[in-house]
Amino acid sequence: MSGKADVWQGTLALMVLKTLDTLGPLHGYGIARRIEQTSGDLLAVNYGTLYPALLKLEQEGYISSEWGVSDNNRKAKYYKLTRAGRKQLDREARDWEQTTAILARFLARGEGQS
Amino acid sequence: MRRLRAWLLRLAGVFGKGRRERELAEEMQSHLQMHIDDNVRAGMNGEEARRQALIKLGGVEATKEIYRERRGLPVLETFLQDLRFGARMLWKNRGFTAVVVLLMALGIGANTAMFSVVNAVLLKPLAYNDPDRIVTLASLWTKDGDHGQVSAPDFHDWHDQSTAFEAMAYWDTSVTAGPAAGYVHATHVTPEFFRVFRVEPIVGREFATEEAKPGGTGAVMISSAYSASHFGGNSNALGHTARMAGRTLDVVGVLPPGFGFPDKTDIWYPANSFEPETESRSAHNYLVVGRLKQGVTPEQAQTQMTAIGTRLTEKYPDSNQGKNVAVTRVRDEMVSNFRLTVWVMLAAVGVVLLIACANLANMLLAKAVARTREIAIRAAVGASRGRIVRQLATESILMALLAGAVGVLLALWGSRVLMALAPADMPRLSETGIDASVLLFAFGISLLASLLCALARALQALRVDLNKSLKQGTSRSVGGSVADRMRSALVVAEIALSVVLLAGAGLLMKSFLALQNVALGFRSERVLVMSASVPASDLNSARHATRFYKELLADVETLPGVLSAGATMAPPGHTASDGGYWINFLPKELNVSAPQAVFSVVAPGTFATLGIPLKRGRDFNDGDTYDTPFAAVVNEALAKAAFPGKDPIGHSLYCGLDSMNPMKIVGVVGDVRQHGPAQPPSPEIYMAFQQHPLPATDLSVLVRTSFEPSALSEALRGKVHKLSADVPVKFTTMEASLTENVAGPRFRTLLLGIFAGLAVCLAMAGVYGVMSYVVGQRANEIGLRMALGANPGDVLRLVLRQAAVLTGTGLVIGLAGAAGVTQLLTSVLFGVKATDPLTYVAVVALLALVALVASYIPARRAMRFDPMVALRYE
Repeated sequence: MSGKADVWQGTLALMVLKTLDTLGPLHGYGIARRIEQTSGDLLAVNYGTLYPALLKLEQEGYISSEWGVSDNNRKAKYYKLTRAGRKQLDREARDWEQTTAILARFLARGEGQS
Repeated sequence: MRRLRAWLLRLAGVFGKGRRERELAEEMQSHLQMHIDDNVRAGMNGEEARRQALIKLGGVEATKEIYRERRGLPVLETFLQDLRFGARMLWKNRGFTAVVVLLMALGIGANTAMFSVVNAVLLKPLAYNDPDRIVTLASLWTKDGDHGQVSAPDFHDWHDQSTAFEAMAYWDTSVTAGPAAGYVHATHVTPEFFRVFRVEPIVGREFATEEAKPGGTGAVMISSAYSASHFGGNSNALGHTARMAGRTLDVVGVLPPGFGFPDKTDIWYPANSFEPETESRSAHNYLVVGRLKQGVTPEQAQTQMTAIGTRLTEKYPDSNQGKNVAVTRVRDEMVSNFRLTVWVMLAAVGVVLLIACANLANMLLAKAVARTREIAIRAAVGASRGRIVRQLATESILMALLAGAVGVLLALWGSRVLMALAPADMPRLSETGIDASVLLFAFGISLLASLLCALARALQALRVDLNKSLKQGTSRSVGGSVADRMRSALVVAEIALSVVLLAGAGLLMKSFLALQNVALGFRSERVLVMSASVPASDLNSARHATRFYKELLADVETLPGVLSAGATMAPPGHTASDGGYWINFLPKELNVSAPQAVFSVVAPGTFATLGIPLKRGRDFNDGDTYDTPFAAVVNEALAKAAFPGKDPIGHSLYCGLDSMNPMKIVGVVGDVRQHGPAQPPSPEIYMAFQQHPLPATDLSVLVRTSFEPSALSEALRGKVHKLSADVPVKFTTMEASLTENVAGPRFRTLLLGIFAGLAVCLAMAGVYGVMSYVVGQRANEIGLRMALGANPGDVLRLVLRQAAVLTGTGLVIGLAGAAGVTQLLTSVLFGVKATDPLTYVAVVALLALVALVASYIPARRAMRFDPMVALRYE
């Protein structure tokens, strides 16, 4: 609508994990804002993509959640990276870097084939 | 791993939904609030901040839906939802549900009960070690394929020349006196008998060589049951003794609980130890069992035994001509008489279930038509066809499970009824019960039945035209033609199946009546039968035993109300011995093949007591003693076979019952059906009991009375005890034992009759249901016709014509089916052919009448329609 791209699921999970790794325990709203900011507001994160992704990660044991109170005294559910989540983050990040590197090389037109 | 964990959590997510739902709502609410707070901080006013946040975040409900799907397992949830909804629907229509469940439960219960019998009698493995390797070996009479008992010399040759068997033994039963002069089943067996069954004594040991050899000392082994009832437990049994054939024998071993082959044997003792075996190759007195070696099939064993049998025929043509060997798995041998009966009954009760299902399908179809609007609405708001069918199927399955549960309860009771009705000699009947395989069967047929019922309904539901059904009211059928055709087809099927069952029942009934009306050759009314066994081990004690009978008979005749008395080795309906006989000349070679006859030993007065007419000559009398020339009486069948056109009186007769002494024929008597009513009389030789003391130790005393015969039993028992305390006796009446003779046919006839009756009732209900429905559907048309001048007679004809088409189609299909299926019954029919036209005519007439009655009631209703009502309705 506003030219902002929706995030696709696989990368969203990675972004969530990275966000939690960088900022520590955070609520859903915080995660969404952080992702949007980091993307330079190129990405839009709404409920429909965020919460199912959080649920999936929690079911898979990469994050855990508990209720807490936010800075401005609102009750919110805080998500936290688990040890398995940290490992998964490393693995996914590595995979992603590899993928992007390959794609980058692929897209860099010219003679650069090694 | 991760996947599994997620899956399990999702499974858990199916439950405790309320709390999770609240949490999600709260979480999203807080998310929204934070967003609004930020927007406000960024300078928007409250209203604008909220609007922007809502736009940004998208549809809350849609998110919740995605979230829910991710949280739980949609398939399972749908199923649970269907289940809940189904249960609600069933509860809402309690009356309808109760009728359907009960009807189905009846069908399932009857089937399960019948199957529990099939399971016990035919399917369950025998409780022996490796039972498939246990076989029986019998003399095979190649002329007619009959299996018969085996002679001792044949057995020894089979045993010594074959290599297919790990062990082979012969056995023969006798009765013996327990401590209280009660009947005990005793069996004498050759040494390898227990190895055939792989049983070992749990206490004590097997027979020692000394005890088992010919002329040996003898000993007994007893069953656990006998040990418990007579010696108060296994440990006490050893050191006790048992009285066998007039001798006192040591108890040397107790066999494990549950072992009692053959039948319910309590005492086993060595064959050919103190009771010498018969040495003639023509005296077929023994039954043979064997255990196949590992890896040898019965077919291979049969091949080998056939070769041995052929060799024996070549070597001993006189005695073994036309005789070979038959190897049969012991289980097949045990149930051979009942296999067909039991399968036919299971098939019959299955047909009843089918008919019940057809009825149920019809009821459900009617219900489905009433629910057409509901289904159409569901389809309109987006339910897929699959989803609707699944919903309907869930309801059916729920109903089937209920019915299955009720059915199993009914079967618990039903199998007991069956056990009471079944012939007492049906093997393993007592093992009947509800076990895992029976439950599995009940579950299986419940599902099958429900699927059958649901199928019609689902097919119908799928054809519903959405637009039409939403527009129309419920009072008129929608998607009608499909449902109508289905209902008609179901009723036709019901009638056709009923024809098959009814034809089968009719044939059996006719055959049973024919059996009852066969002239048996003797008069059975008011004859008391007392089986007695006098202990004897050799000729001397046996001669002593005959004196017992002589004195007893003289004594009995003095009792008030006794018209006459006699005694016989084998009362009509049973045969104890048979074999070859020779006229006027005994060949040098003893083992000579010869015409066969039934042997019986009788006391004077037996023919008069049984009402067997004396055709020529005289009956035996007290003068026919061991020291006078032997006498014989033959029946007419033998006279006709051996002396065509001549007078048999005065000729000599030889047979190897116990001695080869010549017997002079002194009389001819009428034929008796020795093998029961279904088989024609065989030639028979009656011998004087005092002249054949060894076979005459076990006799049935027959007393004809002028009053109810069983009233005499106590007086008779008193007489016996006065003469000897050592003689076990048991009582029955001739009539009762004849009833026992036709127990098999009676069981078949009764059961199939009940099933056919059920089928007819169900078919009647089916026709009634469909015709009522049809009349309801055509109410307007009929009203219109009447308004235009049709009289009630026309209306009646209109309705009945439709019923007649249905019934006629069903009858024709059913007749074709019955003609094929009843062929299966051929072997159990007596005096009636499977194609008996009279039976078929009666069946058709009965069903046509039933259908007429069933459709007459709705037709009468149609006649009374008020044309005005119909017109106004339009």
